[in-house]
Amino acid sequence: MDDLRVPIGSFFVILGVMLLIAFFVITTGPPLSSPRVNLWCGLAMLAFGAIMLLLARRGKA
Amino acid sequence: MKPGVIDYIILATYFLYVIGIGWLVKRRVKTGADFLTSGHSIPLWVTSLAFIATNLGAQEVIGMIASGAKYGALTFNFYWLGAVPGMIILGVFMMPFYYGSRARSAPEYLKLRFDEKTRGFNAITFAVMTIFSSGISMFALGLLFQLVLGWKLTNSILLSAAIVLVYTYLGGLTSAIYNEVLQFFLIVLGFAPLSIMAVWKVGGWSGLTSRASAWMAKQPGFAHNPDVITHTWKYMGHASSNMMGVEWFGMLFGLGWVLGCSYWCCNFLVVQRAMAAKSMAASRLTPLIAAFPKMVMPAVVILPGFAAIALHQMHVPGIMVAKGATFNYNLVLPNLMAQFYPSGLLGVGLTALFASFMSGMAGNVTAFNTVFTYDIYQSYIKKSASDSHYFKVGRITTVVGVLLSIGAAYWAAQSDNIMDFLQLVFGFVNAPLFATFLLGMFWRRTTGHGAFVGLLAGETAATLTLGFSTAEGTGGWFGAIHTFPSAMAQNFWIAILAFTSCLVVTVLVSLITKPKPVGELENLVYGYTKIPVEQDVPWYKRPILLAVIVGVACILFNIWFW
Repeated sequence: MDDLRVPIGSFFVILGVMLLIAFFVITTGPPLSSPRVNLWCGLAMLAFGAIMLLLARRGKA
Repeated sequence: MKPGVIDYIILATYFLYVIGIGWLVKRRVKTGADFLTSGHSIPLWVTSLAFIATNLGAQEVIGMIASGAKYGALTFNFYWLGAVPGMIILGVFMMPFYYGSRARSAPEYLKLRFDEKTRGFNAITFAVMTIFSSGISMFALGLLFQLVLGWKLTNSILLSAAIVLVYTYLGGLTSAIYNEVLQFFLIVLGFAPLSIMAVWKVGGWSGLTSRASAWMAKQPGFAHNPDVITHTWKYMGHASSNMMGVEWFGMLFGLGWVLGCSYWCCNFLVVQRAMAAKSMAASRLTPLIAAFPKMVMPAVVILPGFAAIALHQMHVPGIMVAKGATFNYNLVLPNLMAQFYPSGLLGVGLTALFASFMSGMAGNVTAFNTVFTYDIYQSYIKKSASDSHYFKVGRITTVVGVLLSIGAAYWAAQSDNIMDFLQLVFGFVNAPLFATFLLGMFWRRTTGHGAFVGLLAGETAATLTLGFSTAEGTGGWFGAIHTFPSAMAQNFWIAILAFTSCLVVTVLVSLITKPKPVGELENLVYGYTKIPVEQDVPWYKRPILLAVIVGVACILFNIWFW
């Protein structure tokens, strides 16, 4: 493996997408949760993963 | 807590990634040295994050959140006093000798600097300790999942052990380190939302401190100083004025100097990560760069626990659950997750818990591997074999290490007291080591006999202190001469006495025994080691400058939350 940023980036992109799906599919949550938490966390993880992948690409070029 | 399909999918994805990384790394691991020491090939940012991730085991995460709920801001001391200073000392003062000596492990440094018996003693105690630590943390995780998810203890123990085994067997140290970085990000991103939501719920920092103080005011003995829970140092003047039952001297000297430094500077588990760096400069920078994220980690691993007190004060049910006369603090983290995380994020949180467990266990397994193969097998069983032979032994040791850990987990399951007792013992087994390494690296007169007898004296002093003192029902088997205000105070004072005895005895015995000739001390002792001075590198690559920055920042944090 050449660059650890690729697996880490792709992992968090997948995680982000899953949370976004969860946001649309799951409507119930525990008492203290807020309804949009899956959305925000999904977007944050998607962004983190994308930045990692971008850094890996730039590092290669 | 009832995870849904999506949560299990997230967990399964993570398992696939962990094993996938091990499989990808496998192609690069061609020799025994690659497998056991990573062949000095890991980039700096990776070693730095692995350096703190290996300490972020499940017990650390669960324990720190529990401690946050029990002691509030006092817990910050474990990071700003018990960790960051030790990391600075490793990077600035000790790493040049570890790396410069070309030792492959911490016990091997003792062999090069002192003699065979000192190495043997250290290697064997270390090997036994790592097995028990990984067994205990496996049991702790299994117990937690049994309580909150209803999973069978055996299932979670075998599942997590099997996955750690697969990826460490495939890629050795490199695989463990690479996975630790993924685990680090997962732990931070998985628990940060919990911290943010919990603090938000209690009304931000001001809501948190006022509610926690209001709760504290109702506790016996703290009515006059309820803000004790929001300060790190303010009430350290006397042991009776804070919940930890520790006074400033025990805190500063016991936790900051002895326990903090012996863990971060002498425990091969963490030092191994810095030794895997590409160059001497990178190995010194590893703990210093790691100190920056370490300093802000309390925001993720302590703050949620602290917020739990405030939630309890707001009468939010289901977070601080009773256990006898007090609370079950170890359940605060899973309870918070159950209350705040909907399906989806819950999967991420559970995965982060698994990740923290794995980073801790893989750290133990890889350190055990290296010490067993090089310091026990190669030294006492088969001295000169080919690299491929030791490669094979390293792989077999991985399997044996995991199996022994599973055994230790079931042994710990026999009784909760065994676990508490072992943790107390591990605390003091490490404590005298810092004196040994410190004298070995900075006083050329220190002899092998001195180091060995000093270590034994340190352990003896620790055992006697525990045997002759009591605190919250621990110790005192030989009769109680002294009673400490708390188990924590007892632990800190055992460390102080162990360190001091080791230091004094090592010096005395060294003075009456024959020192090593100067020619044999090259690269092992201060004054006989060329420490590179970085001149043509940017400021952020200069160890001393970075150490000053991180040191000042750490002092500022201490002042800010004093």
